[in-house]
Amino acid sequence: MKKVIALVLLVLLVMPVLFAAGQAEKKGGYEIVVVPKDASNPWFVRMKVGVDEYAKETGLNVYQRGTPQIDATLQAQLIQDLIAQGVDALCVVPVDLESLEPVLGQARDAGIVVVTHEGAALENVDYDIEAFSNAGYGAFIMDNLAEAMGGEGVYTTMVASLTNGSHNEWADAGVAHQKSAYPKMQLLDAEKRVESFDNGDVAYNVAKELFKKYPNLKGIMGTSSYDAPGVARAIEELGLIGKAFTSGTGMPLDNAALLESGVVKSLTLWDPALAGKAMIALAVKVLDGDKIEGTVDLGVDGYTNMKFKAGSDTVLEGEGWIVINADNVYDFGF
Amino acid sequence: MAESLLKAVDIYKSFVGVQALKKVNFEIKPGEIHCLAGENGSGKSTLIKIISGVYSPDDGHMEFDGKSYSKITPIEAIKNGIQVIYQDFSVFPNLTVMENLAFNSELADRRHLVNWKRMREIAEEAVAKIDFKVDLDALVGNLTVAEKQMIAISRALMFNTKLIIMDEPTTALTKKEVRNLFNIILKLKERGIAILFVSHKLNEVFEISENFTILRSGELVATGSTSELDAKKFSYYMTGRDFQQRHFVPVNLSENPIFEARGVGMGGRFTDVSFAVHRGEILGITGLLDSGRTELALSIFGIKPIETGQFLVDGNPVRISSPQVAIGNNIGYVPEDRLSEGLFLSQSIADNIVISEIDRLVKSAGILDKKKRSAEIDKWVNELAIATPDPNNACQTLSGGNQQRIVLAKWLACNLDVLVLNGPTVGVDIGSKHDIHGILQQLAKEGLGLIIISDDLPEVLENCSRVLVMKAGRIVADMNAGETDEKTILSYML
Amino acid sequence: MEMKTQTLLKKLSRRNEPYIFLVLLALCLLIEVRSGQFFSSNNLVDIASALIVPGLFAIGAFMVIVSGGIDVSFPALASLSVYATTKYLLDTNYQGGVWVAIVMALAIGAVLGAFNGLFIGYFKLPALIVTLGSSSVFKGIMQGALNSKQLTTIPVGMREWGTSSLFIAKNPVSGLTSRMPVASLAFVIVLALVFLMLRYTMFGRGIYAIGGSEASAHRAGFGVVKTKFIMYIMVGMIASLAGVIRVCMMQQAHPTNMLGMEMNIIAGVVLGGTAITGGRGTLLGCMLGTLLIVIVENSLILLGVPTSWKSVFTGALIIIGTGVSAYQVIRMNSTRKIKAKIQEVV
Repeated sequence: MKKVIALVLLVLLVMPVLFAAGQAEKKGGYEIVVVPKDASNPWFVRMKVGVDEYAKETGLNVYQRGTPQIDATLQAQLIQDLIAQGVDALCVVPVDLESLEPVLGQARDAGIVVVTHEGAALENVDYDIEAFSNAGYGAFIMDNLAEAMGGEGVYTTMVASLTNGSHNEWADAGVAHQKSAYPKMQLLDAEKRVESFDNGDVAYNVAKELFKKYPNLKGIMGTSSYDAPGVARAIEELGLIGKAFTSGTGMPLDNAALLESGVVKSLTLWDPALAGKAMIALAVKVLDGDKIEGTVDLGVDGYTNMKFKAGSDTVLEGEGWIVINADNVYDFGF
Repeated sequence: MAESLLKAVDIYKSFVGVQALKKVNFEIKPGEIHCLAGENGSGKSTLIKIISGVYSPDDGHMEFDGKSYSKITPIEAIKNGIQVIYQDFSVFPNLTVMENLAFNSELADRRHLVNWKRMREIAEEAVAKIDFKVDLDALVGNLTVAEKQMIAISRALMFNTKLIIMDEPTTALTKKEVRNLFNIILKLKERGIAILFVSHKLNEVFEISENFTILRSGELVATGSTSELDAKKFSYYMTGRDFQQRHFVPVNLSENPIFEARGVGMGGRFTDVSFAVHRGEILGITGLLDSGRTELALSIFGIKPIETGQFLVDGNPVRISSPQVAIGNNIGYVPEDRLSEGLFLSQSIADNIVISEIDRLVKSAGILDKKKRSAEIDKWVNELAIATPDPNNACQTLSGGNQQRIVLAKWLACNLDVLVLNGPTVGVDIGSKHDIHGILQQLAKEGLGLIIISDDLPEVLENCSRVLVMKAGRIVADMNAGETDEKTILSYML
Repeated sequence: MEMKTQTLLKKLSRRNEPYIFLVLLALCLLIEVRSGQFFSSNNLVDIASALIVPGLFAIGAFMVIVSGGIDVSFPALASLSVYATTKYLLDTNYQGGVWVAIVMALAIGAVLGAFNGLFIGYFKLPALIVTLGSSSVFKGIMQGALNSKQLTTIPVGMREWGTSSLFIAKNPVSGLTSRMPVASLAFVIVLALVFLMLRYTMFGRGIYAIGGSEASAHRAGFGVVKTKFIMYIMVGMIASLAGVIRVCMMQQAHPTNMLGMEMNIIAGVVLGGTAITGGRGTLLGCMLGTLLIVIVENSLILLGVPTSWKSVFTGALIIIGTGVSAYQVIRMNSTRKIKAKIQEVV
């Protein structure tokens, strides 16, 4: 019996080593690590495509390393491990801004260049890259929702969590844009913002509850890539197709069926692969000692004309948004 | 003379080099009540496990009804009519009486499905065997210890039983319950069922058993008829030592009491209790479980502070509101349940000894003075003869008697004036009991004031100079120990 | 007659289920008052369909806790078996019915459950440590060997089964519809089978017996090791079934979004009066406790609890619920002690 135990445990110990063996080869130049929110979300799988492409093009030691699930604590631990490993630069898509701030501070104290994405409010960074200004993107999502709703009716907003940085900025901007551009629309007063925890099932259940409790609710503005698909499932099941609408971020191929069936009219997006590349390109520039000022060209599509956000000297904004609808859903290759 | 029911001949058994049984012979006849006695580690549980098939002997053989076996399996033992009732009674506290009674025979019949009607019939039949009245649908966990024991006995009787082995059956039973148990045992005897009774309690051996077998260090030291046994011989066989009854006679009594209670009372548990203890004196307080004796002890040590009256230490009134205050006034307390209240079982013996004097072993900077610490530990391990190869071993490696010595050492290290002991020798074997009594008497001679709270009347009579009897929260008698006897004390208690 | 009702009431008052039921009822009424929607047909169907997956998990967790163990690996176990199944069927471009998926997931679940059972039953390691470890191992296999990522399409058989319904409830006022998934039948069947097993087989009584006292169970003749081993296999299979149903209903396989469910599931089981120390508890109580958790999780908007107070509310309810049953136990124990004392005196 004891031998069996020993054998089983040994196999368990050896297995990861065998799997890891392929990754061990060392490359020259800077070691730059991209840390997404997690490793399994297709959004970040797509980001990894960009990162790997960049590594191939430049030959730098650039790779992506994510936690098994979206968890602020796990992400902080991973980053601490990478600090200890002594990498040259960290490119982070933060899960939770507040809890990450001190860890990023440690990284910078250790002389590591820190570039973030979707973390405009962070302080302990060299630079933060946004595919676009949050205000611009939020307004853009709102335009899509308003178009679907015919410019009138009651709506509410959905974010991954109330502590999520960019989602809340988009939602705020969307609401502000509605007030100035779509006076006939109205934000649901009792539930101005709900949470989906980046989980399609939660988004689905929350949407069902909302439509039950507020019969005059006509639209939900989603932010995370799980929101709109989850809400769409609820709309379909409740028999509200054509009566209730949603819009938000979403991956094209994953939502092809929803877009083609008309449950969702359009989704908005930027390409995470390009965002990943842009983060690394900026990190390389900083490591090379280039001056980052005025208009910055990172040599990545949509990130060639980056400007500092008003009043900030760390946040750079591009113009990377795109609309996805039934017509162009198959055009992006992911 | 009837044929023997079971015979164990020249049994040897060793565990990893330690000889647990050496050439032990044992015999029991149908309908015989036999007591197997011995101190902890004497090999009595090993012998039982060999008889019931849990262990197989290294050498020797057994005979059941004349058939010889070199070893048997538990199933064979059951088939030969042997049932063991363990100290925990092997019951399921979460299940009903019915299930507890029926499982064994259902499993023995290799049944896979449950038929609740049949289970009820089995259970009814089982309790009927000893006229045991109980609600079959009650949860066993809600029953008293005695009722659980009855369940274990009823269950044991379901298998054409010829011999029931009971491991320490009277522990945790009240006096009335013990009498009830003995009645049942006598009834079983009438039906020809033999009872093997494992115990180290003297009075039980005398009262119920016809024959006895005493083991010491794995060897048979005596076997025979109980009528030929007396207390002195019993102690000698158990321990191999001769004990003199040392009736305690106080010397060097201090003129003024070191500790005094004046009309103290607490929440209806005890009221208007007054007494005084002098240096050099051992005061005994006895009474039934609900007499308030334990609460009084807890109050003296400040765990449950008194509400009326006052305590005086060395003539000065002191409000003992917490154990810290008590310790500050040089009062120590040895609790009833040393395992849960008096010791850190998983910590080392050494740490347990120094825990209450830790403040005095600290250097000015708050660092533990290691030299001083080990000097203290050596001193007490030697003084109280604590049997351990290494004081850094965990406390739980020790026997009950040695654990109790550590509790004592812990307090003596604090230079006490008054020591309160609640049930100082509960669960301690005879040899250690005598040793602890010796230590207590020695302490009194050295000028400590002791209060022993105990319902072990021989203990109180032997060790105390004065005895107080409590009943329903009041002191009903105050006697000199030399001028009274067990009967008188009992009459006050009840 | 009066005596009979009295003793019945007394017996009921010692059990946990009536208290949970009252708490549940109070909560439902509160939601109804706040939203006017709780007792509408479509909402009840929503609650029922939201109960399926947590309910199945709870049945497994219940068995383990009754046996005196604890299992925190079931979400990871379910994720791994259903993920592996879905991925394999997608890779082989399987076009048939859902049955193959169910059978395959059950088989993987049995193997993974056996892994837990081997270490807990045969090697007698503490259940918490083993399942914490196996939970990591299962997650690791999913990530390392299967290179997990979200699968946004699932085989056609699973997709169709997930959206097929027994009936559709329509709210005549709002016109909203909800469908009762066919998968709810699977839940009902498992619930019935486990109920019968726990009550009418020696194996089931053995689970209770082991939870009450392992040493006694061994001496009584129960095969303690074998019972535990088989039980963990069954729990693995039930969890895997829950995983399949979850994926079918969501129409996509996400490798991690079941993780973390174990805490609320265990809380629900304990809430329903199952003793965390093992041996005590009923399947009815377990279901009531789980239902309570599910209703709370799915009614906070109907109740009008602000989003930012959600977790405080859920946490408080768990503490109150378990507090009520803990208080019951304390009260019972103290009366028992008094009873024992009285007997001592007499």
